[in-house]
Amino acid sequence: MMARHWWLAVLLSIVPTGLVGQLPDYQSQMTERGLPAALVAEVTAIAADATAAGLPAGSLVDKAIEGWAKRVPQPRIVAALNQFRVRLHAAQQAMIRTGHPEPPGPIVAAAAEAMAQGIDEAQMGEIVDAAQTPASAGHGLRVAAALAAQGIDGDEASAIVVQSMHRGWTDAQLLDLPSFANQMRAQGTPPQQVGQRLMQGGGSMAGAGVSPGMGSRPPGVPPGNPDQSGSGQTRTRRP
Amino acid sequence: MSERDRFGANAHRYLDGAPHGDLAPEERREAERLLGAVQAWTEGLEPPTAALDDAVMARIRAKAPRRADRGWRWLVRPQPIRLRPVWVPLAAAAALAFWMLAKPEVGPGPTLATDGAATTVDTVFVRFQLIAPDAQVVSLAGSFSDWTADAYPMTQEDGGVWSITLPLPVGEHQYQFVIDGERWIPDPRSHALVDDGFGGTNSVVIVGPRGVVQS
Repeated sequence: MMARHWWLAVLLSIVPTGLVGQLPDYQSQMTERGLPAALVAEVTAIAADATAAGLPAGSLVDKAIEGWAKRVPQPRIVAALNQFRVRLHAAQQAMIRTGHPEPPGPIVAAAAEAMAQGIDEAQMGEIVDAAQTPASAGHGLRVAAALAAQGIDGDEASAIVVQSMHRGWTDAQLLDLPSFANQMRAQGTPPQQVGQRLMQGGGSMAGAGVSPGMGSRPPGVPPGNPDQSGSGQTRTRRP
Repeated sequence: MSERDRFGANAHRYLDGAPHGDLAPEERREAERLLGAVQAWTEGLEPPTAALDDAVMARIRAKAPRRADRGWRWLVRPQPIRLRPVWVPLAAAAALAFWMLAKPEVGPGPTLATDGAATTVDTVFVRFQLIAPDAQVVSLAGSFSDWTADAYPMTQEDGGVWSITLPLPVGEHQYQFVIDGERWIPDPRSHALVDDGFGGTNSVVIVGPRGVVQS
């Protein structure tokens, strides 16, 4: 029997190996980053609870790593994680109330960010409803949050995202919106006008103020090697 | 032409021990003469000794392939395989499931942006700049580097401007500048500023496929 189906035996022996490889190994991830064993144990327990509650445990683990990298004392890291967990839970409940009974972890994490920027439940629900995929929903929530963070009203920010989705924009196109809004803002355009222009253009490149002839290249970004010009550029002054 | 070639098929059969009823008388005489000669020759031979047996066996054992060789030969030699057709679609489904589950995620960190299959194929160069004329060392840390403080040291340019260009996956990333290895500060001109939960503020950049633009 084994001789006849040796190939099947080989296949079945490979499949579990692949599955095991997909399981998140948070403990190793934290240990490799140098977190002490006691903290690893505490974070693992919090992550396990979060997983059981349908919350994105990976976000909590990343937050613990971030805190450790910033040399935050362990008790404060744990406290911050518990606080973050509460925020995630609130975002999850908000999504449930908008008619999404089991929101995926990435959407919950994005919703938590959106809520922190003032996007309310109804607006989040509209974005998720308009999205074609869970990934799009997450992107939409994060883009709306970024637009709101740039001073655009939450209603308008979510409307821009929903309208773009209804027009069939891809996730990649959607993710361009914060950059264009940021550019207009940096040029001195008031947030209200930024929002209006994005709405008028449906978030299109023309609406975002790209000059004719620029093609797909945003203004201010010359073509060529990014080391010489930069495909993208973020400038800041000393705060 | 040898002596045996002069005889027909019946003579050959006779020499091989078959009944000799079909032989012509002339053939039978010649065959019996040959048979007698063969018997006389074989009687003159010495019987094989035990030493010969040992020598032959030693040669055989010396050429016996090793286990690894046998394994390799088993692998490279064509093997007959018998299978039931019903297993083929099942095996294909299992292989597809394995491929889907084992497909690695693209991009660092578990943020939604990098989990999104629709946009993870693109990587965009993003240039970060900070004006910090009094700083000795400035680096960039963020969700794309597990917040390692010294993973991305920035280069000092004229006028106290520090900069670095990084390839980042399309999606959302949080980051801070680290001045002199101690002071973590956000980028006030980023797309968003968010509470980091530790009393500080993270900058958020959403990288689209066209790059991140800020004049």
